[in-house]
Amino acid sequence: MATMVTPVAGEPTYAEVNRDIIRTLDPPGLGWFAAMGVVFVGLMIGGYCFAKQLKYGIGVTGYTPPIFWGTYITTFVFWVGIAHSGTLISAILFLFRSAWRAAVYRAAEAMTVFAVLTAGLFPVLHLGRAWFAYWVAPYPNVRGVWSNFKSPLVWDIFAISTYLTVSATFLAMGLIPDVSSLRDQAVGWRRKVYSVVSLGWRNSDNEWRHFMRMYLFLAGLSTPLVLSVHSVVSWDFAMGIVPGWHATIFAPYFVAGAIYSGCGMVITILVPLRHYFKLQRYLQIKHFENLAKLCILTSSVVGYSYMTEFFIAWQSGNAIERATFYNRVFGQYWWATWTMLTCNVFIPLLLWNKRVRTSLTWLFVISIFVNIGMWFERFVIIVTSLAHEFEPWQWAYYLPNHIEIGIVIGSFSWFTMWFMLFIKFFPSIAISEVKEALPPPMRVTRTDGGH
Amino acid sequence: MKRRKFLQVAGVAGAGVAAASCGPQDVPDHWVPYASTPEDITPGIPTWYASTCKECPAGCGILVKTREGRPIKIEGNPRHPVNRGKLCARGQAALQGLYDPDRVTQPMKRTGTAWAAITWDQAETEVATALGAAASAGADRVALLTGAGSGPLDRITDAFTTAFKSKHRLRYEAFAYEPIREANRLTFGMASLPNYDFGAAKYVLSFGADFLETWISPTSNQIGFAAAHSPHAGGMAKYVAVETRRGNTAYSADEWIAPKPGTEHLVALAIANSVAKGVKNHVGDVDALRGFLAPFDSHTVSGQSGVPAEVIDRIATEFAAASPSLAVGPGVAHQTASATQLAVAVNILNVVAGNIGKTVSFPAASVWDHVGSFKDLSDLLAAMGAGTVDVALVHGANPAYSYPGTGFAEAFAKVKLKVSLSSYLDETASLCDLILPDHHALESWDIVEPMTGVSGTVQPAIRPIHSSKQSFDVLVALAQKAGKSIAPAGVTTAREMVAKTAGAGLAAQLQHGGAFTTTAARPVRLARDYSKLAFTPASFTGAADGLVLLATPSPMLYDGRGANKPWLNEIPDPAAKITWQTWAEIHPETAARLGLANGDIVKVTAPNGQTIRPAVYVYPGVRRDVVAIPIGRGHKQYGRFAANHGSNPFHLLAPLTDSSGALVYCQARVSVTREGGNYPLATTEGSSRQMGRGISRLVPIGELTPSHSEERGEDLTEPERNAIGAVELSQGKRRDIGVYEQPHAKWEMTIDLSKCTGCGACVAACHAENNIPTVGPEQVIRSREMSWIRIERYFEGDTSGTDWQVAQIPMLCQQCSNAPCEPVCPVYAAYHTPDGLNGQIYNRCVGTRYCANNCPYKVRYFNFWDYGSSIAPMYAFPGPLVLQLNPDVTVRTKGVMEKCTFCVQRIRFAQNDARVRGIDLTDGAVTTACAQTCPSGAIVFGNAHETGSAVNKSKRADANRAYTVFEQLNTKPGITYLSRVVHAGTREA
Repeated sequence: MATMVTPVAGEPTYAEVNRDIIRTLDPPGLGWFAAMGVVFVGLMIGGYCFAKQLKYGIGVTGYTPPIFWGTYITTFVFWVGIAHSGTLISAILFLFRSAWRAAVYRAAEAMTVFAVLTAGLFPVLHLGRAWFAYWVAPYPNVRGVWSNFKSPLVWDIFAISTYLTVSATFLAMGLIPDVSSLRDQAVGWRRKVYSVVSLGWRNSDNEWRHFMRMYLFLAGLSTPLVLSVHSVVSWDFAMGIVPGWHATIFAPYFVAGAIYSGCGMVITILVPLRHYFKLQRYLQIKHFENLAKLCILTSSVVGYSYMTEFFIAWQSGNAIERATFYNRVFGQYWWATWTMLTCNVFIPLLLWNKRVRTSLTWLFVISIFVNIGMWFERFVIIVTSLAHEFEPWQWAYYLPNHIEIGIVIGSFSWFTMWFMLFIKFFPSIAISEVKEALPPPMRVTRTDGGH
Repeated sequence: MKRRKFLQVAGVAGAGVAAASCGPQDVPDHWVPYASTPEDITPGIPTWYASTCKECPAGCGILVKTREGRPIKIEGNPRHPVNRGKLCARGQAALQGLYDPDRVTQPMKRTGTAWAAITWDQAETEVATALGAAASAGADRVALLTGAGSGPLDRITDAFTTAFKSKHRLRYEAFAYEPIREANRLTFGMASLPNYDFGAAKYVLSFGADFLETWISPTSNQIGFAAAHSPHAGGMAKYVAVETRRGNTAYSADEWIAPKPGTEHLVALAIANSVAKGVKNHVGDVDALRGFLAPFDSHTVSGQSGVPAEVIDRIATEFAAASPSLAVGPGVAHQTASATQLAVAVNILNVVAGNIGKTVSFPAASVWDHVGSFKDLSDLLAAMGAGTVDVALVHGANPAYSYPGTGFAEAFAKVKLKVSLSSYLDETASLCDLILPDHHALESWDIVEPMTGVSGTVQPAIRPIHSSKQSFDVLVALAQKAGKSIAPAGVTTAREMVAKTAGAGLAAQLQHGGAFTTTAARPVRLARDYSKLAFTPASFTGAADGLVLLATPSPMLYDGRGANKPWLNEIPDPAAKITWQTWAEIHPETAARLGLANGDIVKVTAPNGQTIRPAVYVYPGVRRDVVAIPIGRGHKQYGRFAANHGSNPFHLLAPLTDSSGALVYCQARVSVTREGGNYPLATTEGSSRQMGRGISRLVPIGELTPSHSEERGEDLTEPERNAIGAVELSQGKRRDIGVYEQPHAKWEMTIDLSKCTGCGACVAACHAENNIPTVGPEQVIRSREMSWIRIERYFEGDTSGTDWQVAQIPMLCQQCSNAPCEPVCPVYAAYHTPDGLNGQIYNRCVGTRYCANNCPYKVRYFNFWDYGSSIAPMYAFPGPLVLQLNPDVTVRTKGVMEKCTFCVQRIRFAQNDARVRGIDLTDGAVTTACAQTCPSGAIVFGNAHETGSAVNKSKRADANRAYTVFEQLNTKPGITYLSRVVHAGTREA
């Protein structure tokens, strides 16, 4: 992959942008179908495991009371976290006028929507009675039952569904100008679909003015969501009295972790995307470097949060709190905690080195560690806290079993399926915004002065 | 026809008194509502029958609660002098014996290895013919082997063997206390078991007696012991346990002394010697003993036993000073070759301390008087082996399981016709040629006399479920068919016999559960016949470097008879906390030396070459040179719940007897070697240490001043107090949060840890009352046990020696006023009732499990499987077990959370009952199942809004040791615990 670090020769023209990016939508090759085959198998595995769980009960999983939440909630928070950088990059960086976002934001946004779609599965499929999941939602019904608005799980419903709505709207909005370009070139059913999605966009000045207003408005609307969604998710834990959960630091700590994991996942996705679609001229090293810098920042916040947690536990004078955190690092789950610390705090230190953060190989490898580390962070928070709670008689040890691993595989397949469909139907780089950064095409001025 | 059949079965309880006739009765295929209600059944209103428990020979009185004709719960009979309304776990589990899905449903005959159904007439004719032939072939060719029995019906069965000219009539119990009976004969001239009045004792010195588990009359013992051994106006008794393994009974001990195995009797004699020296007045009996005791001075015995001389002397001083005191022993597990000597020594201790007639008194007769010894069984077996027995009938005994080694099957096979009168296909029954299944005790008539003055009636609470026949009736019929008469004229059935015996008192006896009178104790004189025994350390077979094997009676499974009942398998052993498995308790240092850890499979090889392969449980409560293995599992037969679980330590024993004819249970040094491989123990124990969290608290008696609660300082740290204060401020200073308006009751509970012995009776009661599924060993390994109440057992102090304490605590839903489970439920399945309960609506629950995560006490249980669905693989109530379910309580479906409800169905029933009667609900009119049965009386339940209620009184009276668990969390629990007071110096940790 080192060969990918090649300087972009010259700036592309508008026509080249159109050509290069629309080329990614060419009919898929064997590789794509092979990958989709793998995804399909993964989905089948996940589906089978979930069907088995529905039929026999949650007992088919590895749950070991008092660890009543495990891999499912871990993976739920993981996906919600992944969903964060999309909005951060598209909305917050838009508001801050960071031009480098143009190349990466579309893929990041798509990733956001699909990650939320994936995350949203888990609260349902971890339920004892998943078929009654809708009872959690407040809706008028004749049974006279209503949601308990004191419960953070109800807050979750609102946080996640709002986030999904806004991020999906944002994605669809941003797609309009690009899709109209596609529409103009497409024939057959694609043209009809693109016509609908582009909402009759004619590229007029008026439309652009309204578009930019709306885009700004949505960016403003999304920005607080970046903070709120993961804050609410963190309160699923922080509102509990479980030692290891019950901490005021949780909201900022989780948001930083979410952005960190999101950046990691963006790198994980964009590096191969750039390679296979030959987008070196658009996804430039400086973009990756900026993402890497964001990783350094958020990794530092996350590392600081870890230290704060341990320090507060030590200083709390609360023996039970202290025991939980001591057990977290040196107890039965030491391996999970040290995996987390290594991946989230120590390995990202490499990014301080410019050679590392400008090498896509290094970045890709580190981003995988970031993903692993952030999954383990949630596992550590959820499982190690529950495993070592107030009542020593009920201490236990939990590991996910094949059913839970199967469903996690299914969730990754589900996410990948959506993403792979997306890159074949929509431009994964924003054509119009990339063009904004280029010199507009002018009529060629003759230089020989002749008439 | 279906409906009629249903009415026949379901309506029996009402008709049970009048007509418990026999005949094929299947459980109906279809259940329909009462179209026309049987006369004396009101749907929804339970009918109670007073009867007597036959799960062990103690003879406790029971009240059987039936609903719509089905017994659904057994409680103690408050009128009964033995158990005074209380009942142990085994007694309550009798229901699962009644509804055992593997019961023998009709007479069967064996051809080869297969069993074929035959009719009662065929079966009886075949046996009667064989009996007649045997009797005419000569004397002593018929054998009748039963369990312990008493009363007029049991006496008549003696006539059976007489009628067939045989002397082979044996009542066999695996735990028969022969050494104590023999010692009583030698010291007092009567081969009987006395009544031990633990309630009157101010000092209890036990030599291996598991008197709170299986020993003689455990429920009765526990009632007295808990009263004496908890703080009361007259002080608090001290209990010293002298035994090589600290079992559940010794968890209540203030001091544990672990002498070298086989020297317990010498320690007892040394204490007696020391006591006798201190007796200044010349009491006749003591004077007579001085000479005998002289050689056993504390220094000599100290060298033999390893118990320091000053400890012996100190115990002697304390024992003598506390009058009356009580010495008891030996327990079955500690029956060494010197068991009789130990029992003699215990008697001498009671004599020199002047306890005879005070805490030890002999009734005129006891159920144990007629129980044979192990030697009697061996003799009978020898006769069988010699081929001189033609017909053997076995009833209520399973010697094929409990006979040491494998000698039983071989000798038994020589009997020409082997007939089992068992309800179950146990090991002995499966060796027989014919099975003539007995009624279960809950389908039977009988009169049981555990001791003089106590005549307990047994009456049916349900019409027979299967085509069984009461064995008394069978014996009478067999004799009749063979042309003999054993019963009084006009008596052919047990029912007629009971009616004839009771005469005019029948109705009263059926209502009261029997006839109870007070009789004078027999006078006791000291005999001197013990002096011919050799008082030397007991010897052991096997290599000197082996571990002494202790085969311990199981408080749940007794001698193995409980193994077919899922409750008793799943309620953890009160000491090891292990379910469904057989384990080998090994001291941590020994385990380290042998390189063993929890769950490692070991090969335990006895000197006789027999081996078993249990898993190691590393346990500080055994001596370093001892390995303890519980009796009860390792069945090859006996139904699905018993067969192929664990291993049977009886295999490791040789049929050795001591001078009383008892089996020497503690006879061998065994080799314990690592077998390779291990499996997780099905334990409920998470951590054996409470890490100073103050969950179960111990208070040294010296620190228990009236102002102890002030002196012990605040439970809360200052930041915690401030935080709670701030919360209360923000909640509008609602100190009464969670209580709602005053007119409602506020249900609360106190649990006195000074009384709790950790026996597990409450756990069994909860299973029965609340339809709690049993989940099996694989799920227990995953901590998925469902029991709403559990006994936590924490070690306190340095467990490397013997100076440590056990802090136990029954943990159930604390019914917090400010409950952490309630606000986190997204669907209000967890909610607060106006009377202060944490309600749980199963139908509303979607299974997020957040409530369980947020419960600091971890008392919420999740239905991981569909335990209540008969088509699900984890169905917990197969076959007739489903008939036991309490119709007032929902059987929970998969995916929902459940927990202790404070038996809300009992509360509502009592409230409704009071309302329709137009009366106020009085204190004590409603209690939870656990509080009802607790033999210690540790649990008090009631309305905290009623000033004079028992629960309030209990909180006030013991305010100095009252506390709530995790007070710093501001959950405001509805359960107040009272610290356990100990005579030792161990402070709560």
